[in-house]
Amino acid sequence: MRSYIPIARATFMVGLVYRFGFFFTIVGNIVYLCVAYFLWKSIYGDTLVINGLTFNQAFLYVGLGSAIFILLKTYADWYISYEIREGVIANYLVKPIDYQIYNLFANLGSLLINLMAITIPTAIMLIGVFHVRVPSGPGLVLFPFSVLLAFLISFSMDYFVGIMGFYSESVWGLSITKEIIVTVFSGALIPLQFFPEQMQKVLYLLPFQAIYHTPLMMVTKPNQGMDVFLPMMAVQIFWAVVLFIGARLFYNQAVKVLRIAGG
Amino acid sequence: MQRLIEYLRLYVIIERQYIKARMQYRADFIISSIGMFFSSLATLGVFWVILHTVNSLAGWSWMEMIFIYAFYMIAISPMQILFDHAWQLRFHIQQGTFLKYYFRPLNMMFYYMSKMFDLKGLTQLFVGIALLIYASMQLHLAWTPTRLSLLMVTLFSAALVQISIMVAAACAAFWILNSYPVLGLAWKLREFSPYPMSIFDGAFRFAFTFIIPIGFVAFYPSQLFLRPEEVSPLIYFSPLIGIGLFAITYWIWTRGVNSYTGTGS
Repeated sequence: MRSYIPIARATFMVGLVYRFGFFFTIVGNIVYLCVAYFLWKSIYGDTLVINGLTFNQAFLYVGLGSAIFILLKTYADWYISYEIREGVIANYLVKPIDYQIYNLFANLGSLLINLMAITIPTAIMLIGVFHVRVPSGPGLVLFPFSVLLAFLISFSMDYFVGIMGFYSESVWGLSITKEIIVTVFSGALIPLQFFPEQMQKVLYLLPFQAIYHTPLMMVTKPNQGMDVFLPMMAVQIFWAVVLFIGARLFYNQAVKVLRIAGG
Repeated sequence: MQRLIEYLRLYVIIERQYIKARMQYRADFIISSIGMFFSSLATLGVFWVILHTVNSLAGWSWMEMIFIYAFYMIAISPMQILFDHAWQLRFHIQQGTFLKYYFRPLNMMFYYMSKMFDLKGLTQLFVGIALLIYASMQLHLAWTPTRLSLLMVTLFSAALVQISIMVAAACAAFWILNSYPVLGLAWKLREFSPYPMSIFDGAFRFAFTFIIPIGFVAFYPSQLFLRPEEVSPLIYFSPLIGIGLFAITYWIWTRGVNSYTGTGS
């Protein structure tokens, strides 16, 4: 495990080089927060509670969702399919490293830098500028762990789609489709409580809600007992393990079809 | 005029070859089109979920939102189909391959953008047209020849606004090399254009109307067809805004092209 830490450090450093880009991402997040604020203000109007959420809770859910979005979107699918297409992947196959763990750590490095450069400033803005009240409760303590599990789930899905690059050169379509499904059905754009009831039942059975909805609920309604939070995290752990191992098995199968012409 | 015809002829020749080449990868075309189809409907899905709970968004009904959204889809597809190569500009500039575009007796922006004709973007156009027809029928909109020509003019201006914003963002690569964050920001902004501008308060509405006029990509022109009585007179200037914005973008492009020094290898 120790030999993978320098990889995380390296992507962290690469992120520092492109710090100019953070500026635009933060500006984008601020504009998004403003638009979301107006949108939800207009949805709520004079109503106090819709679908069990107050305006403050709904905006906190969506705003914090946009702050952690950058952490949970790994781009691993784009990088991996690129490495397969260009044959760069051969460099990893001849080395005694595990490709999945390697990618996991590379993404952890960018997670760290994005956390400092984008997530924390956005969260501070949410509280400082938009005056969102964060209720207190045990959920807040669990939130960081829940985000980490969400990251594992999201990474495994992206890794899975990236591996499909062994079979098809057309990863754009697959990646976009995955991205849309994840963002819409995970609660990244609208709280899951707003979906029609029948649909909610299905969404709770799918792994996507474990990426955004679970950690976000820990902050929007933190004042609940462990009997609520522990099952939520158990579901996250379940999906993290299943998807991580599933993606691993898929890789072992897929890598066999790889043909690289020359060098 | 003659030059225009000549350019059109060239464009058809270039794209015919491009499409032939792309059609070698039929599976890619199908998968990409499916991806495009889903991504075209994502924001509409969000509106659907919202309007399923509350009956209207700032007074706009679900069917009216479909109309605005359809207008938006059609207005952004020329950018997607004809100017998609803008996204690659940063790679060509970083790697020096942009130099080859200097050596043709053609308009550089034309030649550069003609390198790509995004077939999957057609999906977006078809989704837009289908939704527009559906919403018009449900809303009983009467399409007189005058209103149809008004639709064409406003769509043309809206498309120009969208193209200008994205190409200007791509041009940032001439100065900062990696223009992806700027493009990402422009892309994010564009997704707000089908929102009813009436939900925003003064400063924001001003910015979306006059500074980065995404209001002209979908909402203001749609108002003209849905609720003509509420329209601000500003909308009649939309062709000027579209053309003016494109002129600014073209000026930025020219400055960028003139300042580019290559990579030295």
